[in-house]
Amino acid sequence: MSPNHNVPTSPAQSFRARWTTRIIGITAAVATAVTVWLGLWVTPPDETQGDLVRLVYIHPGVAWVALYLAFALAAVASLLYLWPRTRSLFWDRLAAAAVEVGVVFNVCTLISGSIWGKPTWGVWWAWDARLTSTAVLLVLFLGYLALRRVPAEPEVRAKRSAFVALFAAVDIPIVHFSVLWWKTLHQGATVLNPNLSPTIHGSMAWTLLLGFVALTLVFVWMLLVRYRIGVLEDWLGTGELDLALRERQAEGGSLDEDEAA
Amino acid sequence: MWRDSLLVAGKDLRIEARSRVGLSQVAPFGIVALVLFAFALGPDRTLMAKGAPGLFWVAVLFCTVLAVQRSVSVEAVDGARDGLRLSGLDPAGLFLGKSAAIAAQLVVLEVVLGAGVVLLYGASIEVPWLIVASCVLGTIGLAATGTLYGALSAGLRVRETLLPFLFLPIAAPVLLAGTRIWQAGLSGGTASYGGPWLRLLVVFDAVYVALGIVVFGPIQESA
Amino acid sequence: MRYVVAGYVIVLSILFLYGLQLVWRRRRLTRAVQRVVAGDTAVPPGPGREDR
Repeated sequence: MSPNHNVPTSPAQSFRARWTTRIIGITAAVATAVTVWLGLWVTPPDETQGDLVRLVYIHPGVAWVALYLAFALAAVASLLYLWPRTRSLFWDRLAAAAVEVGVVFNVCTLISGSIWGKPTWGVWWAWDARLTSTAVLLVLFLGYLALRRVPAEPEVRAKRSAFVALFAAVDIPIVHFSVLWWKTLHQGATVLNPNLSPTIHGSMAWTLLLGFVALTLVFVWMLLVRYRIGVLEDWLGTGELDLALRERQAEGGSLDEDEAA
Repeated sequence: MWRDSLLVAGKDLRIEARSRVGLSQVAPFGIVALVLFAFALGPDRTLMAKGAPGLFWVAVLFCTVLAVQRSVSVEAVDGARDGLRLSGLDPAGLFLGKSAAIAAQLVVLEVVLGAGVVLLYGASIEVPWLIVASCVLGTIGLAATGTLYGALSAGLRVRETLLPFLFLPIAAPVLLAGTRIWQAGLSGGTASYGGPWLRLLVVFDAVYVALGIVVFGPIQESA
Repeated sequence: MRYVVAGYVIVLSILFLYGLQLVWRRRRLTRAVQRVVAGDTAVPPGPGREDR
């Protein structure tokens, strides 16, 4: 008979949590599908930009998620973790989830922006403030994830990651203004004006709005799943320890039985 | 806090003076970088002269990474970090001291690299005060952020590859600002052109020095 | 127009594949947790630990 002192309490997810995630996921998928259908087929091409305007239904959506939603969430969650009164690994895991999903959306932003830029400006990349800040943010996010991969106690890792997020959050506005001045103050540079807001009316406006909503929902769903993964991974990390302890105790228990017999 | 920082700065600089790693390794590395840049940009002298400001600052950034690695590794031996923590030194003072030591080494490096740029790339200094101001302000920013990231990655075995990756994007504004100011300083551009960039450096420095003072203690605890 | 289609396809594929990966990771971890909770000491829990 093996003593069961350290059975790890199961991190079972409540019925409500599981179904909330599922419903958000389904809604996100449907909304995205509708956006794609509207964007590629139903809405008319723009007078000036032609079919290229269809990317406007996707690109600002992913950009807003990556640059504002994910980034702000990661920064605020990191701050809340660092603040002693609100310190909880919940904020740390939320920040990590936000950063990882944010990276994916950031890549989508850069790619969709680049594809939009090629026929519009003739180049795959331009060193304007927005694109450059997005790229720097991506690198900073990747650094955060790389640091997180270093094995450590959850609290140590959380604190380290939170500081990195904090420093990055402070740096991004500075970078943004630096690049903005770099382009506009530099004598002789042509100021590229990414006209991402063409005259939008009617069905185009609704599709744009739906695109924002759909991609935000996609982000939320991914955030929830990624958060859950973080909880499970952390639990398994300590669960393995408990398992090892149990095995050690099981060995000790069987020895006692042999002697008693 | 100030007394502790002077203590720490003095210690780091004394170690540096005795081992002379900065002089014998980091500075030559900087020169090598300048030479490599020259090879990369080709024999066109006008191109090199135009690129001189940026290349100078990139070389400085790389040297900063080395200087920070050195500053961190000095304490990695024999549990010296724990010793520092237990010694009761004010963490803010520790931060300021280590930053000051790195800054001092960087200033020397910048003089060397600046001379290199003038000699090798044919740059000529038209507005000296802009050059000096950018170096002073840029150095403060680089030293502060470098110390912060050095502390964050102090205990990690992957520090060598992780530190550059974490630190260099944060240092990007210094590179941008420093390069612009040097462009004005080398080509005789108006001081007003350098003005906003100097202000940016001041903001950058203020933010990260303040952050460091506040946050260095908690970072040390978790390292 | 082919730029637009390429853009849509790439972005949606990235999101879809990442979402798929998330679901797969969650499923694998949930199963691992269930094994640990059931006290299955013969099977090593956690991702990728084959050397127990």
